[in-house]
Amino acid sequence: MMSPLDYSKAVTDFWSAQGRALLQAQERVGKALTEGMQAAASSKVPKMPSMPDNLSPAAEDLARATKSVVGLWSAATSACSKLATTIPSIGGGDGVVGATFRKMVDPRNWTGATGGLDDVLGRMAEGPRFADLWEIERRYTGVLQAWMNLRRRSLEHNAVVLEAWLQAARQFSGQLAARNTQTLDAKAALNLWTDTANRQLLEAQRSEPFLETQAALIRATTELRVAQQELVEHFGKQYGFPTRTELDDVHRTLTELRRELRTMQREQRKPAPQMVSADAPKRRTSQRDRRKGARRGKIST
Amino acid sequence: MTDARQNPATVLSDAAELGTKMLTGSQLLQNIRDADVQIATTPKDLVWRQDKVSLYHFRPLAEQRIAVPMLICYGLVGRWTMTDLQKDRSLVRNLLNLGLDLYVVDWGNPSRADRYLTLDDYILGYLDGCVAEIADRAGVPRINLLGVCEGGVFTTAFAALEPQCLNTLTLTITPIDFHADTVENRLGHGFINIWTRSISPEDVDRLIDANGNLPGEFMGAIFNQMSPMRSLLKYNLDLLEIADDEQRLMNWLRMEKWIADRPDHPGEAAKQWVKDLYQQNKLVRNEWTLGGRPVDLSNIGMPVLNVYASDDHIIPPATSRALAGKLGSSDYTELALPGGHVGVFVGGRSQALFAPAVASFVERHDLPKKRR
Repeated sequence: MMSPLDYSKAVTDFWSAQGRALLQAQERVGKALTEGMQAAASSKVPKMPSMPDNLSPAAEDLARATKSVVGLWSAATSACSKLATTIPSIGGGDGVVGATFRKMVDPRNWTGATGGLDDVLGRMAEGPRFADLWEIERRYTGVLQAWMNLRRRSLEHNAVVLEAWLQAARQFSGQLAARNTQTLDAKAALNLWTDTANRQLLEAQRSEPFLETQAALIRATTELRVAQQELVEHFGKQYGFPTRTELDDVHRTLTELRRELRTMQREQRKPAPQMVSADAPKRRTSQRDRRKGARRGKIST
Repeated sequence: MTDARQNPATVLSDAAELGTKMLTGSQLLQNIRDADVQIATTPKDLVWRQDKVSLYHFRPLAEQRIAVPMLICYGLVGRWTMTDLQKDRSLVRNLLNLGLDLYVVDWGNPSRADRYLTLDDYILGYLDGCVAEIADRAGVPRINLLGVCEGGVFTTAFAALEPQCLNTLTLTITPIDFHADTVENRLGHGFINIWTRSISPEDVDRLIDANGNLPGEFMGAIFNQMSPMRSLLKYNLDLLEIADDEQRLMNWLRMEKWIADRPDHPGEAAKQWVKDLYQQNKLVRNEWTLGGRPVDLSNIGMPVLNVYASDDHIIPPATSRALAGKLGSSDYTELALPGGHVGVFVGGRSQALFAPAVASFVERHDLPKKRR
């Protein structure tokens, strides 16, 4: 049976390998995108003639953001390894608490501890994929550009979150060093970590870098969605499908008509002006007045 | 290998206890169906409907002691069902048991088709229609209004614009000064205030235009940001802690059901909510207009009870208490309740305080029969 120490090491190794693999993959993606865009700009790819000039810099920005996160991620990996090896020396508690503890000091959870906002934004923005639309390259490129910008902004925001995690890990290590870990059980250690990390992340959330990168991320998400909508609308028009814009027009008209109807109903409920003397107390309407008025919303009971 | 510092017998005992807990919890979860998890079960009847808005009248649970009916008005973020989560944690039931004649408005599930609805529509249209209907049914010139959170802003604005329609106004966890989060500046409190000020008005417009509405899922993510580590523990340790206790597990599942029910916020109304109020703070400055009319807080002349949660991290107390001194009414009472934003409604400590305070307030101002 695997000992807790072996288990901890295995988890740490697995996590480290995963982290490095992810970052290497991201670097490769950034590099491939840059090369691909450069090739497209030099007309080596025949079906993207209207590729904008500024796409390559966008890819470079993405690669730069990725590289920045790589450094932070490595530091986070190192800090997490140290924390993870501390766990077996903390006594008491049960296996679930220990496993949860290990999960909680995993910085990948930290980047996700922004309440799943990134995931939600991603789902909101990415929607259906349109991979084979070379014939409408201008719009497609717009989507690609927006996607790359979103990835870049996401990486920049994650870098801020990772910095907060590193700060929390340093504080937690200091707190552990100041205590006798022989008498600290896993649950107490988890609570200490939760409090420390929560405070650090809440402080980070108020910071300018966090708010600025999050605002940029939201903006990038919106721009991607808009670019996707333009692409879809183009198809809709081509094939005679009703577009979102057309539906919105109908809904706007309907809302305005309903608003006018409500206003008329409201006016009908009011007593006629000549019935109210100037010094009479304000009174909404009588039961009888109301019954005279339109009763569109009435449910017969 | 076991930890050398622990007695093997203790380790085995702990492991057995954990195993039993997990097994019991697993069996409980397997046997519970979504239909078993019911919220908002107090009997009620649909009495009025317009577009997607429904007005319900609760059936009495006790002899009616207060003549003037009360309407509960929740906001568009979340749903009113939080006020009737379960039998022993229900403001609705508590008020009915104290003899109130109670109504609630449900805004429905706005879709993209409702993106052009404004707060003017909700306050001067639908809410106005509900108030008129209740007054008509009860044969009274004025009713009591109770607003919750964003619904408290709706009722405040309505009270300022149509003061002749209201007998009393009760506000609960309601923001009035949207910049007063800076008064106490407590860590983890008022994040929505900070966040909304960090994005530009143009970005708000663009985000909402691109999505049509402000998605409920998006707001859920923002709320989760307010307690980041808690969110990570929720579905593992927290759930395990209560997994073998059926009553606590059901309470937890009911709360989950309420949280999961996050309607989208109609787009144009969301723009007003974020830009006019959170960003530009127009309500407390008497600069807000609805239907072309200024929302002047000094027009609110009816008695007002302002209930806030002393540990509310979503609506910091100072943002609610800013109402003091802004009203035309001299009959203004504040009530601080223990707990947080949701705890005020569902927490054990507030159950014995909240409804009795509201009932006592409206009873003091009940209309004599001869005047009705």
